[in-house]
Amino acid sequence: MPIFDQGYQHWKGHLSGHGWRWLAIARHGVRIGLQGRVFRIVLLVSLLPALVLATVLSIWSLIERKSDLVGPIVQFLSSMQILSPTVAADPRQYRLEVWTLCYNYFFSTELTLSMILIVLVGPNLISQDLRFNALPLYLSRPLRRIDYLGGKLGVIGAFLGLAIIVPCLVTYALGLLFSLDVTIVRDTYRLLLASVAYGLVIIVCSGMLILALSSLSRNSRYVALFWVSIWIVGGLASTILEGVYYGQVAASQMSRPPEMPRGRDARRRMTPADLEKQQNWAEDFQTRMAEASKTDWRPLISYTSNLSRIGRELLGTDAAWRKLSELQPAQMRGRVVASNAGPLYPWYWSAGVLAGLFVISVCVLSLSVRSLDRLR
Amino acid sequence: MTPVPQSLAAQSPTAPSPTPQSVAAPRSIVEFHGVSKWYGNVIGINKLTLRVPVGVTGLLGPNGAGKSTFLQLATGQLYASQGKIRVLGQPVWNNSAINRQIGLCPEQDAFYEWMTGWDFVHTSARLAGLSRAAARDATERTLDAVGMTQYQGRAVRGYSKGMRQRTKLAQSLVHDPQVLFLDEPLTGTDPVARHDLMTIIQRLGSEGKSVLVSSHVLHEVQTLTPNIILLNHGRLVAEGNVRDIRDLIDEHPHHIVLICDEYRRLAGRILSWDDVEGVRVLAKEKGLMVETHKPDAFYSRLPQLSLEDGLAIKEVYSDDDSLESVFKYLVNK
Amino acid sequence: MLFQFEGVTKTYGRVVALDNLSVSAPTGAIGLLGPNGSGKTTMIRSLLGLTRVDRGSGQVLGMDFRRRQLDIRRSVGFVPEDECLFPHVVGVEFVTYAGELVGMSTKDAMQRAHEVLDYVGLGEARYRKAESYSTGMKQRLKLASAIVHDPKLLIMDEPTNGMDPRGREELLELSRDLVRNKGMSLLFSSHLLPDVESVCDQIIVLGRGKLLTEGNIQQLKQLHNRTFEVRLKGEGRPFAESLSGLGCVAKMRDDALLVEIPEGRTQQMLWEAAAQQQVQIRTLREQRSTLEEVFLKALGQG
Repeated sequence: MPIFDQGYQHWKGHLSGHGWRWLAIARHGVRIGLQGRVFRIVLLVSLLPALVLATVLSIWSLIERKSDLVGPIVQFLSSMQILSPTVAADPRQYRLEVWTLCYNYFFSTELTLSMILIVLVGPNLISQDLRFNALPLYLSRPLRRIDYLGGKLGVIGAFLGLAIIVPCLVTYALGLLFSLDVTIVRDTYRLLLASVAYGLVIIVCSGMLILALSSLSRNSRYVALFWVSIWIVGGLASTILEGVYYGQVAASQMSRPPEMPRGRDARRRMTPADLEKQQNWAEDFQTRMAEASKTDWRPLISYTSNLSRIGRELLGTDAAWRKLSELQPAQMRGRVVASNAGPLYPWYWSAGVLAGLFVISVCVLSLSVRSLDRLR
Repeated sequence: MTPVPQSLAAQSPTAPSPTPQSVAAPRSIVEFHGVSKWYGNVIGINKLTLRVPVGVTGLLGPNGAGKSTFLQLATGQLYASQGKIRVLGQPVWNNSAINRQIGLCPEQDAFYEWMTGWDFVHTSARLAGLSRAAARDATERTLDAVGMTQYQGRAVRGYSKGMRQRTKLAQSLVHDPQVLFLDEPLTGTDPVARHDLMTIIQRLGSEGKSVLVSSHVLHEVQTLTPNIILLNHGRLVAEGNVRDIRDLIDEHPHHIVLICDEYRRLAGRILSWDDVEGVRVLAKEKGLMVETHKPDAFYSRLPQLSLEDGLAIKEVYSDDDSLESVFKYLVNK
Repeated sequence: MLFQFEGVTKTYGRVVALDNLSVSAPTGAIGLLGPNGSGKTTMIRSLLGLTRVDRGSGQVLGMDFRRRQLDIRRSVGFVPEDECLFPHVVGVEFVTYAGELVGMSTKDAMQRAHEVLDYVGLGEARYRKAESYSTGMKQRLKLASAIVHDPKLLIMDEPTNGMDPRGREELLELSRDLVRNKGMSLLFSSHLLPDVESVCDQIIVLGRGKLLTEGNIQQLKQLHNRTFEVRLKGEGRPFAESLSGLGCVAKMRDDALLVEIPEGRTQQMLWEAAAQQQVQIRTLREQRSTLEEVFLKALGQG
């Protein structure tokens, strides 16, 4: 029996082209990201809205089929005045709107959870490499800077994709299955594409932004702080400013609300005329607010508002609300749309803000990763 | 059993002439008596008793041997859990006056990056208690001695590693201390700077100061001084002149290399001697490696052997005496 | 031919890092020496294709480093000087990831990682986080990650800086084994001349961006034919004086004698003198300049 050399052996194997390098980096980042227990819990929590969405859509599909399984639910919803009789009579007419609104609610919760996911896994991506000086190890290997950045973006893409895009697709499929009606696709395929597109917009914009922030500092705590301030402080500032603005608008444009009877038996003493006056005033108020919101730039300060504005545009939520508002008596329509649809300023303002931030992120990344391949 | 030889006279062979102090009994600058230091359960130094004399002494030991703990204890940065430490006859703990006499060149790179080299050294001089005029003179002199005059106006932020080391050494020297502790003073320096700095250190040693150089680079310590202190696992392993330590390591036979054209015949002759324990043939170099426990007797027979018929010995050497082999032997036991 | 530079110039602003440098290096172990600021780092960076040179051309392992940087990096391993780590991974994942980054599949990389970790001597430690390693272990981990893809050229930048004697010895032993027994070429850049001498056969000395000297170490360390380094037991002066009387030129240097014997005589005359005067000669060697002298002399010319 020969004795084998235990020392160094040569290796003749296959080396793949650098095009796949980003995948190795993304896989590595995902594995490291999953090491944190808090992160794993938050990731699971972020899958809950998907569960809710799937349930609601499945129930709706069963309602469409007028299946007996959902009989009690329909009765319950009708009695609570949530489900209007028109809808219950012919659900198919309102299919697109209901789906749109469900997806909209899903996205609004998921957006917040995505921001939390990003704050947990994003800051470490590049700043840890800086802190532990891993860049010479990366750059002395056959990969380009763009592969490195693509891989890091892929980490964000993997987690947010799991939380956003996968649920969109899976629930669509479930809704389809539960209703056993292929015409759904014809009605709602644009919704599917829009939701995937919205998910991609979230991933790419916020991913690039957090990467750019992460490349600026060695200390991932500062990066996390910066991200949280952009998100929360921006949101707060925007809300406060909006409050001030709308207050001003109301003060300048609206007359005082009509006099209403007060006291314990106010309800009994209100005449139909009083009710009508109140409703007209409320309608007028909401419509004016909606008008004012068309030129309101203040939501642009909040990062999440920008994203949700683009989302609403892609999903067509405003149109859905308008159609649903037709179910209401005429005086209330404006109110329904205004109170539920959100600010009506042009969507391309938000698109501009997000595109601007994207370009800044790209510039910051290209500068900072280039200047950091120090080999002193 | 590892021998712990007595401290010897404080002179290094490279010193040009004996300083007055060493004519009398050897003076110890730094004294440790039964010093131990532990951090919770982990022991850093274990019952260390030694004296660091005048001149250059090397402090050696593998990682984790307690060298940095030793330096921190000696400069008064740590309080000993047990035992007494005296520098120049005074205790170091809580004694800020003694810092006037002590210079420390630490291993870490901790500078005020915005200061220029001149500012940094000048500030150190002022902090040591020099008057403004004296500090200015001392700064200029010291920066000139370490070769940083050209760059003294530049901020430390822009210094290379070698320049930083020189500046660190300058700040430890500027107040002309009696005792110097240098922790890895030559890391990152190129051979030119290394040569200059070693000359400075040797000169300081010969001026009657006590310089303790802690280093991992054994051949540098060997060039600087034959006096060493070797620590391992927080304990003192050996202290004194390398050659004397070598002689005391009885169990380890001396390895002497002889180069000769007729090496096999030489081997035969040598094997007939009683004190020779082994002979190994080095065919490529045309020589022999001889093992013996009595080097003295061996060497005394060599001239006669060489003059014998055709056994001209062309070279003889032993790198057993080197610091490297002594270190390896003592640390690996 | 390992690598070749032809008329390469690179400036950073006003500082000239490489000045019309032309050098070619054979395969084997080559030491790269030079004072700080001599252009060693820039040279390494241009070999790896990380810096674009202003003028000139060059090849590494037959590939043009201005065009085929990614291909070059597949056949080159680099051990950086600074402390570098991939964060939050254990040793074996570290090396596996390093292999994946070169293009190995995960399975190949994992198998090879274990092989290479065996070679550098990180046994059970490979299952611990890399941040918990000592300096010596981190260096060996870096070495392992540099050779995981079996490069033809290994570039080591100050590998033994700050390591304790045992760690240094082990690393140099590994380097020597890779070069002498496993046929890898090595570019060893260091300030510690004895380390360079123990691993390399050839050296390249740079100064201020120019080539000062290159060649085989043994040939550069000139032999002084008739000068010998002599160490005695005890005082050397009387012996030196007696040798002068016999026609030699003897002078003291540190604790040794440098003796130049006259034309036509051999070392035997020293033995004769020793036998006569009952003096023990403990060291007798032909004098060779040290690498440090070669280096300083080359700098003096630059």
